[in-house]
Amino acid sequence: MAWEAFVRQMQGRLFALAYSYAGDREDARDLAQDIFVRLYEARSQWPAGDEFLPWLFRVARNRSVDYLRRRSVRRPASTAGETELAQLPDPSPGAEARAIDADRRTLLHAALRGLSAINREIVVLRDVHGLPIQQVAALLGIPLGTVKSRASRARVELTERVLALSRGRGDA
Amino acid sequence: MSAITCDQLRAGILDPGTLPGDWARRPEAAGHIRTCPACQDWLDAFTAGEQAWAAEPANDFATQIIARTAGVEAVLRDLPLLADMDPGAGFTERVLRATSRKPAPQGWRARVSGAWRALVRRPRFAWEAAYVATVCWVLVFGNPVGAIEWSATNIGAVARERLGPPVKELRADIETWRARIAPEPRPAQQAAPAGAMAEPVPPVVRAWQSAAAWLRNLTTPVVEAFRLTWESVAAWFESPAGQPPGTPTEPRADAARSPQ
Repeated sequence: MAWEAFVRQMQGRLFALAYSYAGDREDARDLAQDIFVRLYEARSQWPAGDEFLPWLFRVARNRSVDYLRRRSVRRPASTAGETELAQLPDPSPGAEARAIDADRRTLLHAALRGLSAINREIVVLRDVHGLPIQQVAALLGIPLGTVKSRASRARVELTERVLALSRGRGDA
Repeated sequence: MSAITCDQLRAGILDPGTLPGDWARRPEAAGHIRTCPACQDWLDAFTAGEQAWAAEPANDFATQIIARTAGVEAVLRDLPLLADMDPGAGFTERVLRATSRKPAPQGWRARVSGAWRALVRRPRFAWEAAYVATVCWVLVFGNPVGAIEWSATNIGAVARERLGPPVKELRADIETWRARIAPEPRPAQQAAPAGAMAEPVPPVVRAWQSAAAWLRNLTTPVVEAFRLTWESVAAWFESPAGQPPGTPTEPRADAARSPQ
């Protein structure tokens, strides 16, 4: 079935995107499911070709923003602990490699949570999911020059946070 | 298995108290670096910064830029790791259940019931239903608060209006029954019926009562004539200027009206 194949192919990517917004594994599962339901409901409107991926990210982002808005009314946003992040399974072979990857992911997620919301979105869309900077600007509704300058600052800030966290964990 | 972790290796290399090269050449660190691709990448980026620093040791700004650039490059290499994450077991089935195809409802009854269920499931349905019910109540029965206020001020009049006739009827009935129950006043002659219950009247008293009645009947016309005469005399004395009673007095001439 085409829909099931689509779900299996895209679930990792959409779950990762949902996780970057939700910051919590269970919330990210709910959010990713919500995104899939929305995609299923709008399956007659799917654009073809190169327009599909930006459209998909737009749908996912809109659902994520709605979800965060509802959650901010319902309860304060929870932040995932590093142990939870470290438990995220990874398909790469080898236990040691998985542990290393999990460690790097943990570090990056923790550093990303320290960024401002708009900078985090730019980094996630541009550097994590690889969207062209024009599409990032269109998706976020901000000028291209603003995205470029914010992306540069966000990368530097993220690096400093990663180094600081590394040092902090090393000291501990 | 490495004797130290990635964090320990990186913290040791970044420790300002030790030279990075010395620390990295330690057997446990070197062993870890050989087996850890992530730390190899990280060390490459760090070494790039260190080499730039070694080339221009006096230029702190350039050193910072180069080190920062190397760090950014390392982070950018790692960021795509976050693009794909396993949502956990059962996620696919959960999504497929949530998006399973349901046959379209057949017939108007199924469509109406489906629409009704969708309406009822809405979170604010209870509030909306209460609002609609209140509006319908006001439209049909009027303003309940107004009725309460009107009742508080007009309940006395309403009670009098509504309950007046029944109360009057009841009162009339009570008077009727009271009149029926109460004994009627009887004349003296009939006061002593010939029943066993009546008290016996002595013959002397009876004779005296008969004589008194005869005398009263005899004197009544005389007394009545005397009373009428007396009233006529009194009326003559009360009339002005000794005119006889019953004589009409002419009205006095009005000076204002008379031209003479």
